[in-house]
Amino acid sequence: MALNPLFFRKTIIAGTGLFLCIFLVVHLSANCILLLPEETARGLYNSYSTTLRESPLIKIVAYLLYASILLHVFYALLITLRNRKAKPQKYVMNHSKENSTWTSQNMGLIGTMILLFIVVHLANFWARIKLGMGEAVRLDAVGNVDVYEVTSSLFHNIYYVIFYTVLAIPLALHLHHGFKSAFKTLGFYHKNGLRIVAKVALIYAIIMGVGFGIIPLIVYLK
Amino acid sequence: MKVTFKIWRQEGPNDKGAIRAYEVDGLTEDMSFLEALDHLNELLVLKDEKVIAFEYDCREGICGQCGVFINGRAHGPHDHMTTCQLHMRSFKEGDTIVVEPWRAASFPVIKDLIVDRSAFDRIIEQGAFISAKTGTAPEANAIPIPKAVSDRAMDAAACIGCGACVATCKNSSAALFTSAKINHLNGLPQGRAEEHKRVAEMTYQMEIEGFGSCTFTGACEVECPEGISIINIAEMNARVTKAKVLG
Ligand code: HEM
Ligand code: SF4
Ligand code: FES
Repeated sequence: MALNPLFFRKTIIAGTGLFLCIFLVVHLSANCILLLPEETARGLYNSYSTTLRESPLIKIVAYLLYASILLHVFYALLITLRNRKAKPQKYVMNHSKENSTWTSQNMGLIGTMILLFIVVHLANFWARIKLGMGEAVRLDAVGNVDVYEVTSSLFHNIYYVIFYTVLAIPLALHLHHGFKSAFKTLGFYHKNGLRIVAKVALIYAIIMGVGFGIIPLIVYLK
Repeated sequence: MKVTFKIWRQEGPNDKGAIRAYEVDGLTEDMSFLEALDHLNELLVLKDEKVIAFEYDCREGICGQCGVFINGRAHGPHDHMTTCQLHMRSFKEGDTIVVEPWRAASFPVIKDLIVDRSAFDRIIEQGAFISAKTGTAPEANAIPIPKAVSDRAMDAAACIGCGACVATCKNSSAALFTSAKINHLNGLPQGRAEEHKRVAEMTYQMEIEGFGSCTFTGACEVECPEGISIINIAEMNARVTKAKVLG
């Protein structure tokens, strides 16, 4: 039967998107350690990150994560370009705000901002800690790699604090629309269920946006 | 009542086209929007100018022929309404009213405000029907259908194929139209025999016609004159997956 495999591009975006949504919950929970008093935070954060780095299970999850980001971005850019081609001539006057949200109309742009964020974020942490690029990372008192120091020194640079905090806004917008949209893409069509999904999406997006946005600020002021 | 129409004029499919302004006097609030265009065309005839080409048939909101983009909205400023149901009382004395044809790569302009929507017909041809022997209609009560099921099928069947969903969608996605046609038939026992084939072939045609992918902006269900719910698209997505697994 002529079932177009291309139809499933959106399914891939939705599946990887939801997986990334789960990852963000874990990531934010761990980052909350940074809010504890300095010495407790250093010990906990470093031992947590050492445990993660040494776990074979987390290694698999990490590869899944890299693959998800790459697939998500690749297919997202692909459908964004194809969707643009489907409307080559724009309207002279278009009041799209009267029938839909700005976020839903600009997911490609918002996603690209997040991509910029991910690149800078990986350069700040992943490249330094995992690839050993840039200034070497010291060990802490108990011999764990001092990831806390990397974080805390980064967030004492006001420009990075602003960057991380401001880019939490497109993240929240992306998650608000993306979370709702993904369920529909994957074929969930229960009317009241979708109402609940919409509410959860809003709460989720606010928690993620505020959480990721405020931690760098608090670390800066600590 | 006097207004200024700014209308897209385009000689043919290969012409570049442009907006042209027309000041029109002598309108009344009770005129329908299409009657106002008729009035303008009569003035153009008297001036020996070419009339504005626009489409219509029933002028009562059931045929789906009349859609145009008016002041930045499909079928004009109201939700859930066809162009022919719009009246001049929705505008004010002295207003400027911008009128454009549907914009989508899959709906090329034929002339002025008329676009070629035959891509919809080709999607229909792939499976928006049931294969049944002709002859006497079967006994109506032979196949019992629960009220809830028939209501949902009827809601989906209300789609008049006007194309506003494609026109308003930033991706020019035909997902609302296609899902309405699919769910109308696949929800009913008569349509179930061919359900997977129908889903597979109609969505395939939708893709190769060059319509974009749905990203759930939700604009379509607001502009749709029949209020077809976007949940139909989610249901179609579930049916595509089901067809892939079972079909
Ligand atoms: C933390 C990272 C990210 C998460 C958690 C995430 C999550 C999601 C989710 C759940 C969806 C909904 C899928 C659907 O509509 O079916 C989505 C869609 C999308 N994402 Fe992401 N995303 C992330 C990063 C990115 C990046 C880096 C880009 C860069 C190009 C991007 C671009 C898009 C686009 C274009 C769409 C589809 C647009 C739409 O549905 O309107 N995303 N994302
Ligand atoms: S789904 Fe609504 S907007 Fe789209 S073609 Fe049918 S009636 Fe028109
Ligand atoms: S002319 Fe028939 S729906 Fe408008």
